[in-house]
Amino acid sequence: MYELYFQNFRSKVPLSEEQQAMIQKNLAVKKLRKKQYLLQEGDVCKTIAFVEKGALRSYTVDESGAEHIIQFAIEGWFISDLYSFLTAEPATTNIDAIDHSELVLISKSAHEELLKKCSSYETFIRELITGAYIALQKRISSIISLPLEERYESFKAQYPDITQRVPQHMIASYMGLTPETLSRVRRRIAVGK
Amino acid sequence: MAFLAYTQWSTAPCRGNFAVSKRKNMKTKQTIAVIGASGSMGSAISKNLSKGNYRLLLCSNEQGKLKATVQDIKKSNPSADVETIDCSREATWEADIIIVAVPFRAEQEVVKKIKEVANQKIVVSIANPLNATYDGLVTAPDTSAAEELQKLLPNSKVVKAFNTTFAADFTTPVIDGKQVDSFIAGDDEEALQTVSELVKTVGFNPIVAGKLPVSRILENMQFLLIQLGMKYNYNWLAGWKILHK
Repeated sequence: MYELYFQNFRSKVPLSEEQQAMIQKNLAVKKLRKKQYLLQEGDVCKTIAFVEKGALRSYTVDESGAEHIIQFAIEGWFISDLYSFLTAEPATTNIDAIDHSELVLISKSAHEELLKKCSSYETFIRELITGAYIALQKRISSIISLPLEERYESFKAQYPDITQRVPQHMIASYMGLTPETLSRVRRRIAVGK
Repeated sequence: MAFLAYTQWSTAPCRGNFAVSKRKNMKTKQTIAVIGASGSMGSAISKNLSKGNYRLLLCSNEQGKLKATVQDIKKSNPSADVETIDCSREATWEADIIIVAVPFRAEQEVVKKIKEVANQKIVVSIANPLNATYDGLVTAPDTSAAEELQKLLPNSKVVKAFNTTFAADFTTPVIDGKQVDSFIAGDDEEALQTVSELVKTVGFNPIVAGKLPVSRILENMQFLLIQLGMKYNYNWLAGWKILHK
């Protein structure tokens, strides 16, 4: 239920049994069925979710109804609308389950309490945010500077598990392409090889 | 790359100029598990909550009665998001809010099943711990059914609600032209707010009465109302109303 969460935690920051108990007390577990929402745009995001099992995505929907995927999260990943979580402003994204999922959730009040009380948790979160910032920077840099073929290859290399698990039309949406364009990109790569 | 693989988030943590579309203000649907949903209170609460923006998971030991409750709900409200689930642990695991609609004496058994997956979730205590002859409470004067449930679920947010209203009141939440008050007690502010919304959806006027120990008074209020109901033959259609200016 929390195995992967704490395994993940310990891979970054040492954690005593007491600290683990203190953190676990503050966590909730939640099952989400496929297509069910964790968050809908306009609502305030009250939790950060960690994926123990399954897969989720966060996305925006434009005026024409088209979905634009911002992030995927599979086992071992965190997902949230951090902007809404931190500012208590309405969320700008939707988060839903691509597969049946099992999540570990932390609420804002529990998160803030742990930041004060538990130094390991504070370090862990700092590492996460730092990593998230780097990942975001890489994503932006790749979008504005790499040719499509290289972007797709680098996405595949960076996230092989997601490429396996997620339907191609969602990967296209993540890359800001139509499914047809992504399909052409993949064909060009195949021919090039 | 593994470093990045589990550290990616969706947005940068700053107040900024995100493109927000104008058309939406949807509320994320909350999932409510009603444990003991075939009982008179459990089914009354479920029926009224099905009108709100909730997803309901109903469980009970009496599958036949439970199916009838769901059919009833679907008949009066075909778009209701409601289904039965035969395991209270699974229902709780999926839920954001858990309503324990079983008699006080059965709560320990329920807790054994749901404890692990009820962490940090809102658990609504509706029980009135009356004895078998309805002439006293089985709890000691310095505690209440709600506080006992909180002791059993120390990491959950127990809220007392729906204990000062009879099952019959749910079909008639306005009696003699007055909307019945429904009192709420608990220690977590956000949980109290969420449960107030539930009470409103059901049709009563929510009044936050205080912290969880106030449940002792709320449970005694219903004890009194039951006694008065029997004495003066209120026919189970009675409730509390605070009159004020």
